[in-house]
Amino acid sequence: MVAETAREFEALEAQAQTLMATFGNAGHEAVAPAALQPADVYLDVIGEALRARCYVFTDPDGDEYCLRPDLTVPICRLHLERHADGVDKAKYCYNGSAFRFQPRGANAAHPREFRQCGIESIGSNEREKTDAHTLAIILEALKVAGLNEWKLRIGDLGLFRALLSAIDMPERWRERLRHQLWRPQAFREELVRLTEAPASHVSGMPDKLIQELAPDKQDEAQRHIARYLDQQNIELIGIRTLEEISRNLARIAADQRAERLPVATANLIEGYIGVNAPARAAGARVKDLMRDTGVDISPALESYHKRLQLLADLGVDVTRAEFSAEFGRSLEYYTGFVFEVLVPDLGKRSPVAGGGRYDGLMRMCGAPADVAAVGGAIHTERLLKAVRG
Amino acid sequence: MTERLQLAIPSKGRMMEQATGVLGEGGVNVRKTGNERGYRGEIEGIDNVDVLFVSASEIAWYLKTGKAHLGITGADLVQERMTDWETRVEIIKPLGFGHADVVVAVPDCWLDVRTVAHLDELAGGFRAAHGRWFRVATKYVNLARQFFVGHGFNDYRIVESLGATEGTPAAGTADLIVDITTTGATLKANALRILDDGVILKSQANLVASNVAEWTPRIREAQNEIMSRLGV
Repeated sequence: MVAETAREFEALEAQAQTLMATFGNAGHEAVAPAALQPADVYLDVIGEALRARCYVFTDPDGDEYCLRPDLTVPICRLHLERHADGVDKAKYCYNGSAFRFQPRGANAAHPREFRQCGIESIGSNEREKTDAHTLAIILEALKVAGLNEWKLRIGDLGLFRALLSAIDMPERWRERLRHQLWRPQAFREELVRLTEAPASHVSGMPDKLIQELAPDKQDEAQRHIARYLDQQNIELIGIRTLEEISRNLARIAADQRAERLPVATANLIEGYIGVNAPARAAGARVKDLMRDTGVDISPALESYHKRLQLLADLGVDVTRAEFSAEFGRSLEYYTGFVFEVLVPDLGKRSPVAGGGRYDGLMRMCGAPADVAAVGGAIHTERLLKAVRG
Repeated sequence: MTERLQLAIPSKGRMMEQATGVLGEGGVNVRKTGNERGYRGEIEGIDNVDVLFVSASEIAWYLKTGKAHLGITGADLVQERMTDWETRVEIIKPLGFGHADVVVAVPDCWLDVRTVAHLDELAGGFRAAHGRWFRVATKYVNLARQFFVGHGFNDYRIVESLGATEGTPAAGTADLIVDITTTGATLKANALRILDDGVILKSQANLVASNVAEWTPRIREAQNEIMSRLGV
């Protein structure tokens, strides 16, 4: 991208001032975290895929840094610098550059460098209330900036997690499904595998050895495996211990003996994933799905409805909100409510604002435990374009 | 380099011998010009060709930037050094030497790991036990990353390794490796095993053309002459 013209710069600055004033009035403290961030935190949260999406580089000391791809992680780190355990309540707002590599080439809708203006609320345990306030403040800021026509897309990973917890299945399968939550395609494949042959993927492993392993007898399993390695003349190298390897082999042995996941259960999960409806109707549809199969996720559903009601009480027109069960599964740090503000002219791939709940992120950034946190950000260049029409 | 075709070939060792050998068999005889220790050469009977003797690891870069029109280099280096290699260059002809596979290898004692999917399943538990993601030692950072993305495996960290990569799992500096192997003997000697679906690339030396170099009609002519002698 060529440097902005002075005029664009001024227009964006003026718009940012308007947005920040709205955030300030709502009690958010303006902060300016560093643009240059240690790559470690991001690599831990997003994984090596980060390198395909961001500007990561090595400095002369050999340390890896990245140009921040968003401002949420930098705000979490800033909060932790102020409060070591991270649980203190705080409300922040910011306006600053973010940087993303655009593999299909950069353009006006998907620039390499753009400015985000947003808010974060950390440490408030009144989750539905803080979710609703966050979205309401973002919408208010958009309105003050001149945007009136929008549509809302919402999701709730809390419902998904509750569903996985409530369904009856071995814990190790649940872990496998949770692990794939972020990859819809792999999740589906895993689900199919559990219903067809949970242990079909062991070809090449020492079958006879696995047959001998009893999951509840760890010591014996370890002895079996040590003897096998010895017989095969395989050296034990690397950081994984014999105990780790044998514990996992014992799980595989358990899978081989387990009943399959009932098809009805897989259908329920698929049915949930397929829910796509106006916000209120979606809640009712999920409730029906659960009632038919006797799975109880009522606390998560109540939380969903409570949040919607709070949004309505705050003056948000929830009839403009569309729920999608799939939504929110692309960014690994979201844990609950997620939202996206869409403008018809810009299309579905270019939301003008978005955000959600990320209760696990503070811990990934170094807090001793999870901390309740939710935020939202406005893509300021897109907003300017949308407002100008 | 007006109107002269730049042909980059490895500057020393077995790679140079094999490259000049294969060209020679086709009647493209490379001769060094000037000093025997120099890095320039010519081809008998084709007058507008400069032969550049370049370190094997840099030939891909010469092709990528258009400093060379043609070059002889391994597919592994082409794909590692250019994320957009399919548009930047054209593989003209595999040359039948320099065979090697880029593979993912894990400690053989990991009886519970046969495929990339198994690594993915283990990643969470590994992190819980050791406080970090799997470390993958490699000099093929891009190839490794693309391969793992294609297999939906993301919970690892790359440790760049420029030599003795096979030793890193035993030394504890990495947990698994992505490396090049010809016979597998070095992997075996280091108690490592290739994953069942762990062959990333079957590589060999190729004659490669740069799409971004400046091709004039006279340079095309020189290329056509080289290619017809080589029977392409």
